Amino acid sequence: MKMIKRFSPAFISVLLLLSAACAPNANAPSKAKSSSPVVVDNAKDTFVVAISADQGTLDPAVTMDNSAWKITYPAYERLVEYDGSSTEVKPGLAKEWKVSKDGRTWTFTLEEGHRFADGTPVDAEAVKFSFDRLLKIGKGPSEIYGIISEIRAENPTTVTFVLKQNFPPFLSTLAANYGGIVNPKVMEQEQNGDLGQNYLANHTMGSGAYQLTEWKKGQYIKLEQNPHSLKKPSFKTVYFKIVGDPSAQRLQLEKGEIDVAEGIPVEQIESVKKMPDVKLLQQPSLLVDYLYINTGKGNPALKDPRVRRAISHAIDYQSLIEAVQQGYATRLRGPIPKGLWGHDPDTPVYDHDVEKAKSLLKEAGVTNLTLDLLYSDNKPWWETEALTVQANLAEAGIQVKLKKVAYATMREMIDRGEFDLCTGVWSPDFADPFMFMNNWFDSRNFGLAGNRAFYKNEEMDRLVRKAASINSKEERIKLYRRAQRIAIDEAPYIYLYQKDFLLPIRKEVKGFVYNPMLEGIYNIAEMSK
Amino acid sequence: MKKMIVKRLLLLFLVIFGVTLMTFLMSHVIPGDPARMMVGQRASEETLQRVREQLGLDQPLWIQYVRYLKGLLSGDLGISIRTQKPVLDDLITFFPATLELALLAFLFAILIGVPLGVLAAVKKDTFWDHASRLFSIAGVSTPVFWSGLVMILIFYGYLGWFPSSGRLDMDVHPPTRITGLYLADSLLTLDFIAFKNSLWHILIPALTLSYAQLAIITRQVRASMIEVLEQDYIRTAIANGIHGPFLLFRYALKNALIPAVTVIGTSFGSLLGGAVVTETIFGWPGMGKYVVESIAYLDFPAIMGFSLVIAVGYVLINLLVDLTYFLLNPQIKE
Repeated sequence: MKMIKRFSPAFISVLLLLSAACAPNANAPSKAKSSSPVVVDNAKDTFVVAISADQGTLDPAVTMDNSAWKITYPAYERLVEYDGSSTEVKPGLAKEWKVSKDGRTWTFTLEEGHRFADGTPVDAEAVKFSFDRLLKIGKGPSEIYGIISEIRAENPTTVTFVLKQNFPPFLSTLAANYGGIVNPKVMEQEQNGDLGQNYLANHTMGSGAYQLTEWKKGQYIKLEQNPHSLKKPSFKTVYFKIVGDPSAQRLQLEKGEIDVAEGIPVEQIESVKKMPDVKLLQQPSLLVDYLYINTGKGNPALKDPRVRRAISHAIDYQSLIEAVQQGYATRLRGPIPKGLWGHDPDTPVYDHDVEKAKSLLKEAGVTNLTLDLLYSDNKPWWETEALTVQANLAEAGIQVKLKKVAYATMREMIDRGEFDLCTGVWSPDFADPFMFMNNWFDSRNFGLAGNRAFYKNEEMDRLVRKAASINSKEERIKLYRRAQRIAIDEAPYIYLYQKDFLLPIRKEVKGFVYNPMLEGIYNIAEMSK
Repeated sequence: MKKMIVKRLLLLFLVIFGVTLMTFLMSHVIPGDPARMMVGQRASEETLQRVREQLGLDQPLWIQYVRYLKGLLSGDLGISIRTQKPVLDDLITFFPATLELALLAFLFAILIGVPLGVLAAVKKDTFWDHASRLFSIAGVSTPVFWSGLVMILIFYGYLGWFPSSGRLDMDVHPPTRITGLYLADSLLTLDFIAFKNSLWHILIPALTLSYAQLAIITRQVRASMIEVLEQDYIRTAIANGIHGPFLLFRYALKNALIPAVTVIGTSFGSLLGGAVVTETIFGWPGMGKYVVESIAYLDFPAIMGFSLVIAVGYVLINLLVDLTYFLLNPQIKE
């Protein structure tokens, strides 16, 4: 008794320690872990992609952020899917579909056997639920589907969409991320009427080949197979590992700790080419880089097409591509980029011709023109681009003042039209020239919505609106071709280049198919090592 | 002393109020529409208006501020626009990682900086003093993004001894959460796999982060130590036959530390704030990265929450510094 009394402080601390030890130990079930801390544990059935930043919400009905799609795309299925490397669609959950003559009624027949990750079969009700939910939430993606007037689940395998008016790009929108079909059981996770948004921000509930199983914020996102998927992929586990620093990514790629390094800037790409076990994929992308010329609210001189043509002539396109993208880009011919249907290879382009630029300015009676150029550091190359444009225009006698602001501020200023010239990038959400022609040129879309040049031309409005309302692809191509000629001649934008898609990937990874519509999205279900 | 603590705590509330007002005003004055960032660029005016209403952005500024303060009182920091989660949840997720990194860096800075400073003072004008000076000057003048890269290149790239990023290997489970500090939690739950693994991950980033502060502490300790060593009571002690480490640490260092405490204290604040760059280089999932991403997104609630936490941290640290002062030399007047 005495002994215990004397040692009681020690005794109590031992007890305390023991009780703490009773808290569950996460690594306890004697997981035989190798003693070396830097074993590169990157097995054949594991695929590791290094990404530069963590993701925001993963709810397909909410996110408009393309980088979130690399997680959601393999976790959800859509009625239709992009076909391999092409921008055409193929059957997905829907094995076939019909569209009525007036283009307003779309009927999809679902393929049986698809199941969500919890085993629930995917049926017409789930499809209806997903789109109803998306429209009720009313965030970004609902804009695109505002065209829907009614969705009917006719029977378990038939679902009908009735549109308010003919909208030919509709089918293509269904292959985009926001067309992902969500398990209706998400409603069990609803909090304060949020339709499960809070839950789906960090979880997936789809029928894709993979599901999100773990998300360590700021570290990695882990996908594992959906046990009920019809596909039997080769990779059991896929990690999206967050490595912010490009040099760290490079080293990890070289050592084989990661299979893909997404965040290596173009200036460091050459060093990747020297790595023996790594290959560099290079493909033209649909990401275009252009300058907006503010024809509405900018410097009054910019209302004159001759001044805009002069600016277009003043740019040295090839040197700019070299300076800004180390040559890893293709000059943009017209608003619709190469690789998307509707692109016109015969579209005329402006040559680099300083004398022509000067004489056009003279013709327009403009002297001592001073313009501001708005940009931010959202894209690392915009600074160099702004400097190059400044130097180019100086040769033609136009003084450019650089105006660098924070990205969020830049967007606000674009929306309000507070700039003369501004850098910009654009990539399509779905594979239809609509994404370029109607967004950029329709005068209903002034500002951030797409018409950032505040350009208004009645003929243009008529052409692009008509093209968006008829079903015949050939007819649409003709209309867009005419519209593109006007777009070049009137020059509300400076069409710079299409960025190349560059992806350093370990040589042992097989089966990756690049689709320009799914940039940064991996067809992991078909890939292997 | 009690009076001082009460006074400081009152001051703390004043500072917090000031910080909330400043960050609130600043983030609302900057042009940029968070509703727009949320709905995407192709949304219509109607959608935009509805989201603005949902976020309360259509209200006058002062109402928004009062609402924010009310929320604060109930521990509600608002909903992050980017992650769409309560900011408090996000901070609870990310803050411990930053704290753990800063604490360990702080420990390194003291454990290496103080003895190095003492050594330089005792061996004044010898090889050791010059070496320590060189080491310190390199420390203050090397930017973290550079030293961090060099560390990664050596310890991960060439030697392969340490991992280059993250807090744990991807196949090691984090320890059961008690404090959120992996090292502490893994010890408490006797999870030695997690302990060892997280220790391997934190060593290099913490060393990198500590370098600049370590250098400053070394210089400060050296300077005040030299001053103390020349004072009469030390001479008397030596005359009385007290030598060696006992003299240095029992008699001299205690007094030499008083001026150094301020430097050491504020260095912890700098470590917390300065972790941003280190976190980016080492892929450390802390608050720094979170706030950088939030700023790019103009995520007001997140930015305000972060500023609040850092401000409170600074004030508390200053309070601690003053208390330490007091403990080291009770003669200092309140």
